[in-house]
Amino acid sequence: MEQKFISNEKVKALTKKLIPDYEIFYPRRQEESWDWARMEADSEFTFEGHRTVLPLKYFFYSPQENLVEKKKDKPRIIFGARGCDTKGLSLLKKIYLEDPEDPHFRKDVLVFSADCTTHHPDCFCTVLGDQPWATENFDLNFSIVENGYLVSVGSDAGAKFLKDHGGFFESARSEQEKSMSSHRTSFEEELKKFNGNKVLDLKDLEGKIEKHSDVFKEYGKTCVSCSSCTNVCSSCFCFFLSEGDENKIRYMDSCQLKSYARVAGGANPREDLIERFKHRFTCKFVYRPQMQGFNGCTGCGRCTAGCQGKIDFQEVLIKVAEAK
Amino acid sequence: MDPYKTINCKVIKVIEETSLIKTFILEPEKKFSFATGQFIQLTMPKIGESPFTPSSSQFAKGPFEVTIMKAGRVTEKLHELKANDTVGIRGPLGTSYPLNEFEGKEVLLLGGGVGMAPLRSLLLTLLDEKDKYEKITLLYGAKNPADIVYKDQFESWKKRGAEICRTVDAADNDWKEKEGVVTCLFDDYSVNPKNGVAVVCGPPIMMKFGTFKLLELGYAPESIYLSMEKNMSCGIGKCGHCGVGKYFACKDGPVFKYSLIKDIEGIWE
Repeated sequence: MEQKFISNEKVKALTKKLIPDYEIFYPRRQEESWDWARMEADSEFTFEGHRTVLPLKYFFYSPQENLVEKKKDKPRIIFGARGCDTKGLSLLKKIYLEDPEDPHFRKDVLVFSADCTTHHPDCFCTVLGDQPWATENFDLNFSIVENGYLVSVGSDAGAKFLKDHGGFFESARSEQEKSMSSHRTSFEEELKKFNGNKVLDLKDLEGKIEKHSDVFKEYGKTCVSCSSCTNVCSSCFCFFLSEGDENKIRYMDSCQLKSYARVAGGANPREDLIERFKHRFTCKFVYRPQMQGFNGCTGCGRCTAGCQGKIDFQEVLIKVAEAK
Repeated sequence: MDPYKTINCKVIKVIEETSLIKTFILEPEKKFSFATGQFIQLTMPKIGESPFTPSSSQFAKGPFEVTIMKAGRVTEKLHELKANDTVGIRGPLGTSYPLNEFEGKEVLLLGGGVGMAPLRSLLLTLLDEKDKYEKITLLYGAKNPADIVYKDQFESWKKRGAEICRTVDAADNDWKEKEGVVTCLFDDYSVNPKNGVAVVCGPPIMMKFGTFKLLELGYAPESIYLSMEKNMSCGIGKCGHCGVGKYFACKDGPVFKYSLIKDIEGIWE
């Protein structure tokens, strides 16, 4: 589909126009990191940078929520989501929206992603063979070019949005398209280089995880089962369903917590901490690709950044994947 | 449709089976049916939910039965339910026993303790269409005579055509049947693995040794069906709790062919 251009001024005017009808979020710089901020009429923003501290998934469901019919909220637009987060949505949508559809997973969220222009020290999407820009699950994508953004369409909803707000966009020029490609290529090269030009072969991981369980023993020593890694993960989806005063409540749960798999009577197939630590890798790189067709990891590196035990999850993965 | 919404059920009757086990006869307010082996989530408002497999025949119209062992916070509250109280259910959920695969075969049910509950549902369902099956056998074990569930019903099942052998781990003076773990029933009972299927439900240790015994007797892994108890929470394959290797017990199970899960580590834990 034809790409469009929107100038820096126009994108500000567009967001101002959208504020009454949408709940809009964007990545706001906080020193070296980025967090999600609500767009206000006077918000200063740019789509430069890298993934936020918290994942995109919590715009689709809340970490803790009452499962009642909610009053109709404004639809959401999320600007500046990164490729790792949009990739993570593939697994989440497969789990939540199929067989049967979960009515509490929001379907009124427009994702306006943006290419990464920097990276966090823990980013490793390229090690998984992925790119630092959105390739799926986005409605529009914004790539920084001179004086504005090159806008690509990723869905019917994105195309409709462009049509409905046509006045803000203009046709893209070929040099802008070239500029986008060269930015992407050079940044991908930079990130690849940062990660030692490594691309892992994850095909035989099932046997390797079992065979090299000593790796998990070694790295799991400092794990304290805090569940940070699962809470900030772009694609961890587990929750616990409980009873509130008048309705069901769901809250995010974690396979890293001891109580997670315990059944009535006390039997617990994953009582051992190292087993739980290992299980998270097996789930992400073996079970989910086999059953849902998608890896449960997109290389966002949030698990490492958030780990209380300073475990480098990327290092664990590489160690197992490269073992003979 | 919201899969988290419950259907209210009126408690019609509570039957005390053992000191820790009760059977509840429940009448749903809305139309409800299940296929034998499927489970429901039983909701105690403000307390929590627990998964149970109905213990009545899938062909029974109207009220259905659930047998519950007191084993934790939710089941303790469930045990306080009395006739005319209301309780919520979600379901039916998960896979059922594939009755069409059992047709023309000798169906062997191997049960232990409260694991008899899903098997009672299967047994009654099979007996309702008895002519479709070559033979229906129940081999059942409990810890002691007092712990046997459905004590007064075994005779009627025999009369309806089921062959039944029972054992207890620890007999008392009145016990006239076998003494020993459930697999000892095979000492006196000859099976026909070539034209037979076996269904196992009970405590994990009993399921493990029961399954191994069946394999030893010549049952193919594809002919052994297990009802797996895991920590089912959402019941619809989303919350992740009930993983059996790559499968979710709530959606891909709870009824699994042994051949499907035999290589998964830790299935008996």
